[in-house]
Amino acid sequence: MSELKAKLFQDLSDAVVDMDEEKTVETSHRVIDEGIDAYEAIEKGLAHGMDRVGELFDQEEYFIPEVLICSDAMYAGVEVLKPHLKGDEQGEKKKVVIGVIEGDTHDIGKNLVKIMLETSGFDVFDLGRDIPPQQFVDKAKEVGAHIIGLSTLMTTTMDGMREVVRILEETNLREQFKVIVGGGPISQSFADKIGADGYAANAADAVRLARKLVS
Amino acid sequence: MSAFSPKERLLRVLDKEKIDRAPVVCPGGMMNAAIVEVMNRTGHTLPEAHHDDTLMAELAFDVADYTGFENIGIPFCMTVEAEVLGSDIDKGSLACEPKIRQEAYPSVSQVEFKEPQALLRSGRINTVVQAAYRLARKHPDYPIIGNLTGPISTAASIVDPMSFLKELRRDKENAHRVIDYVSDVLIAYAQLMVDAGVKVISIGDPTATGEILGPKMFEEYAVPYLNKVIDGIHELDAAVIVHICGKMQSVRHMIPLIKGDAISTDAMVNLKRLKEDYPQLTTMGNLSTYLLESGNYEDVSRHTRRLVGDGIDIIAPACGLSTSTTIQALQAMTQTVKEL
Repeated sequence: MSELKAKLFQDLSDAVVDMDEEKTVETSHRVIDEGIDAYEAIEKGLAHGMDRVGELFDQEEYFIPEVLICSDAMYAGVEVLKPHLKGDEQGEKKKVVIGVIEGDTHDIGKNLVKIMLETSGFDVFDLGRDIPPQQFVDKAKEVGAHIIGLSTLMTTTMDGMREVVRILEETNLREQFKVIVGGGPISQSFADKIGADGYAANAADAVRLARKLVS
Repeated sequence: MSAFSPKERLLRVLDKEKIDRAPVVCPGGMMNAAIVEVMNRTGHTLPEAHHDDTLMAELAFDVADYTGFENIGIPFCMTVEAEVLGSDIDKGSLACEPKIRQEAYPSVSQVEFKEPQALLRSGRINTVVQAAYRLARKHPDYPIIGNLTGPISTAASIVDPMSFLKELRRDKENAHRVIDYVSDVLIAYAQLMVDAGVKVISIGDPTATGEILGPKMFEEYAVPYLNKVIDGIHELDAAVIVHICGKMQSVRHMIPLIKGDAISTDAMVNLKRLKEDYPQLTTMGNLSTYLLESGNYEDVSRHTRRLVGDGIDIIAPACGLSTSTTIQALQAMTQTVKEL
């Protein structure tokens, strides 16, 4: 790697960690001007930075406000670089359909999982909140998802998760998708009980789990 | 025959005076015990009782009557404040609490500041206040607990929460202005409840946690504005319970700075150790709501006994109860405390 390239990638990574959106945008333009590969810049620069943010979050150095601001900085850089990606670099990601069965606008956990999965190279389809079980299955079929991620904030709607698994079984689709669950009232034992493929306690966990399931 | 009425006992423990045994309560609001089984037995049901002061008072008393909790708590949701401040509310159902459908503002910089007194004439404020008035007169031996959604959570219920959390760092000036304004509205609302006969205000602030905010933001926003609201309520001569959600490690050292009369915590917090480290705290909690919902009555009794044995000052559920929890599970909890 040329010295300049290495420096720009490091700058991108640092700008994400430093929550510096202006700098990610500016450096991304510089990457393009220098004729450096956009895909590599995302992977070794912006996503690398977001990985470090994930570590800082795990270590309780960063909390949710910081992670959200870092991810804004990352996405701003990605927007600049995206038009310069070659066709074959865009369509090969593993796909995840996620959503909240029932919840209010405080679906922070789900949003965090989405951000972390995206920065880890997954293609994420976010259905939003108050999503009926059938809709998860329909969307997963439509996009050819590898993983269905279910979250809920309320104990009374945990049955909706069981329902997703049941629909998959009834329609002989269970083997096609991995089902992962999370959210305030959910536990590993609940995941086992409903026959989900995994449970994640937080966003970093969800990435590890998703990687394991598709590897 | 107990030496104290439920009201005397709770007020005494909040005042750090001697009592015969710990009270067992479920404050209401975020932590309410309006379970489906109680509503089905009495016919006083949600979502109707969110909007009708007579029904709200009846259901609040039913809850105490059927479960054995030694308080009456109103309202049964966390959306009263956000509604008067302009957010759009989903009214909920029998089994599901109301929630925010859409926040009023996209950003802290766009919040309109209105006169608190005018706001308090709108929405369901009067429903809650009238219910409090009825209950205080009809049940003088029970402490009526009025519930507030804390300043950080209320602010995050009127401003899009993702923007709000970012703006705690990016637009501190407006974030402070909004939370300060919300705190003024909360104090004015608390005053109406206290005037109606409420003796204890319980503040639940689930967005103001160490897990979400981290220690720096907790220190900059949660501690000062919780204390502003607490000071405002203390001036009205009412006691204050503060519930802190989730894991607490990263902000544990700041808990003694919160000026509430009791601190209630989630199930994962070791209350016994918290009390050992900060003997000045009056502790409340923290029976797992998953355990309560599981319907394993022996475990409910056993864990309740442990809490009492650990010297926890007020025995209560650790968090919001599932509405499918049974009366029998809650009775197993309350009876255990009363029989020890």
